[in-house]
Amino acid sequence: MDLERVKKGRLLMEKYTLIVTEKPNAAQRIAKALDSQGKPEKVEEDGVPYFLAHRDQNLVIVPALGHLYTVVHERGRRNHYPVFNFKWAPRYSTERRAKETRTWIEVISKLASNAENFIAACDYDLEGSLIGYCILKYACDNKEGVAKRMKFSTLTKNELEKAYEDPLPSLNFALIEAGRTRHEIDWLYGVNLSRALTLAAKRWSGRYATLSTGRVQGPTLKFLVRREKEVQSFVPTPYWSLRSEVEVKGSVYEAEYETKTFEKEADANAVVEACKGKTGEIETIEIKKLQQKPPIPFDLGKLQTEAYSLFRYTPKRTSSIAQRLYLEALISYPRTSSQKLPPTIDYKAILEKLKKKAVYKKLASDLLKKAKLKPVEGKKEDPAHPAIYPTGNMPEKQLSEPEKRVWDLVVRRFMAVLGEPAIKQSMKASIVVNGHPFYLRGRRVLKKGWMRFYKPYVRDEEVVLPVIKEGEKVPMKRVIREDKFTKPLSRYNPSSLLQKMEEEGIGTKATRADIIETLYSRGYVAEERIVATDLGFDIADVLSRYCPMVTSVKFTRELEGKMEKIQTNSEDRVNVLIEAVKQLKPVLEQIKEKEQTIGQMLSQAIKRARMQERIIGDCPDCKTGKLMILYSRKTRKRFIGCTNYFEGICTTSFPLPQKGTAKPAQKNCKGCEWPLVFVRMRGKRPWMLCFNPKCPLKEERRKRNEMQSL
Amino acid sequence: MKCKVCKRETESKFCELHDKAYRNIIKEYDVWKNASDISWKEYLSEIANNSYTGLWAKEVTEYLMKSGEK
Repeated sequence: MDLERVKKGRLLMEKYTLIVTEKPNAAQRIAKALDSQGKPEKVEEDGVPYFLAHRDQNLVIVPALGHLYTVVHERGRRNHYPVFNFKWAPRYSTERRAKETRTWIEVISKLASNAENFIAACDYDLEGSLIGYCILKYACDNKEGVAKRMKFSTLTKNELEKAYEDPLPSLNFALIEAGRTRHEIDWLYGVNLSRALTLAAKRWSGRYATLSTGRVQGPTLKFLVRREKEVQSFVPTPYWSLRSEVEVKGSVYEAEYETKTFEKEADANAVVEACKGKTGEIETIEIKKLQQKPPIPFDLGKLQTEAYSLFRYTPKRTSSIAQRLYLEALISYPRTSSQKLPPTIDYKAILEKLKKKAVYKKLASDLLKKAKLKPVEGKKEDPAHPAIYPTGNMPEKQLSEPEKRVWDLVVRRFMAVLGEPAIKQSMKASIVVNGHPFYLRGRRVLKKGWMRFYKPYVRDEEVVLPVIKEGEKVPMKRVIREDKFTKPLSRYNPSSLLQKMEEEGIGTKATRADIIETLYSRGYVAEERIVATDLGFDIADVLSRYCPMVTSVKFTRELEGKMEKIQTNSEDRVNVLIEAVKQLKPVLEQIKEKEQTIGQMLSQAIKRARMQERIIGDCPDCKTGKLMILYSRKTRKRFIGCTNYFEGICTTSFPLPQKGTAKPAQKNCKGCEWPLVFVRMRGKRPWMLCFNPKCPLKEERRKRNEMQSL
Repeated sequence: MKCKVCKRETESKFCELHDKAYRNIIKEYDVWKNASDISWKEYLSEIANNSYTGLWAKEVTEYLMKSGEK
């Protein structure tokens, strides 16, 4: 037996306090912060890591793997609905991909059996509170009533030590109740509605296809479908605008006409004729000074929006990058709704630490010179955490490029909110040409203020005008009529959709990004500028026709409101659950009643979607048909054929590899512009196949090979 | 009855989606006529070739151009 095992055995013989954390990284950080030597011992049992530390007493810090328990159907058949009987059970008992949670629970249970005290140190929010509660209740044999709670917003040594020395005397049961209710209601809606749709389709067509919807997924899909309908049925109308080029002090500047738009072409033409070749006179000059306040601190939604607009990171990606930065103790807890930074986070100490990095040295030092540091704050609050801020710690390991970017964004935003307002000057000169007013506009920054700190991320273009005075004559170089058309509303992107969900009050900061991803993975939506697919349309159509409540934003928002009230003890969890079930029952009854019609609609939609997935592109021969992946009835082999074959018009076909998977790549060949097929085969690198036998790239490759063999 | 454009089952000439596009086409003709005194045929040709016109509106426009209906 080696020394380590002896030490471990000895420690585990004695009594200790078991600290439960949410993730292995957090456990390591907490163990390191709490161990008096800063060197906790890492032990691994059946692949489950935990840490032995010593402070005023022996500590065992064990991580979870996120949720170890989930809501499951208590008993009964899988392919059946409605189901209202549920219980909490280990995830491994119901999810194939969660096998590892079994050993995790076993190790925690074993450690709990010899523990004297218990502390929950999971993230202090709805999910974290629920994770800790379930482990203490189910894996630690009902210790949820005696456990204490560490509350912290960063994984820095200082804060963790404080949270340990002065823990909350008990778990936050209101938060736990709210979390449990949310999971249970989401399960009730998700399981019942998804089963109802899936079974309706299966009973009609005899084929299985997973269809899903849920309490938040339904209304979100409805937003997208509604927007898509607007875009697809949009008819543009014409309008005209005028601008002119005027010469001032030898340089040419652009001036816009007073009336922004003309509805009649003739009206715009009349102004062009009246001003062409004329000289204008500067009639008035208006100069204004404006103060632009610093931006507000980041809550998760604002961080996701900014990261999307600057780096094109999807909300889900930003959220997971921020989570990693939090686990590295570089930023505070990111899943927050707060836009406030209380003084208790110690702005000065953070800036002192940031000074150590060369790139922030000058900026942080300048802020530290201020007599008083007071951040600009937004309206939103979160009782559990402040807005996102940097801890001031430097990375202990090399960060990836996306991590570096998001960290830099958080650091600079933190400094910017502590900065002074920027002062800008705007100038508007009115130039009258033959009785027609044009405006020359300029703007420049007089004092950068907070913009200095946020520089790479500030979007501001200066237009500096020369010195001009009233009465000055300016010749018109050109008067330009611009022919324009009204545009349809923009499609949502993942970031604007997330904002819309936030505005409408549906979903939570922790779930919104996942719901958007689910819509993509189910095939209900596609592309970055989100387009609702035919399947998405049909699902939304079925839901709004036969169960409009499921897509009702009002209903979802009200339910969200009630669940939030549980957190503040102003609503009873059982009442909310009963109410939710009461609302769900008639919906399911109606689906059952119309099962055949719904099944037919959905089956046809699935069939169309599957056909669509196999379409590669336009047929290069007949030009009217589509090339798609087909299967021969006789040989069962797959090939590419034209859809016009069935009409007897086109017999174009191409062979395909028979092994592995082949699907349209949605890209065209660089050599011949023909559509490509993406082929994936076991043991081989996936590749893009150009099936054009006369592709010039193939010819080149052939010649090159011949040359090499000579 | 089937939609004249997409052949989906419907109770009127167009399905719900194409009907929305059709109503938009009719509605916006007044704006075009007021703007530049354009005929119905010219209008259809303009919107059929406009990149901002939605797909369903284009499909309905093409149908109207072929059938000569209004």
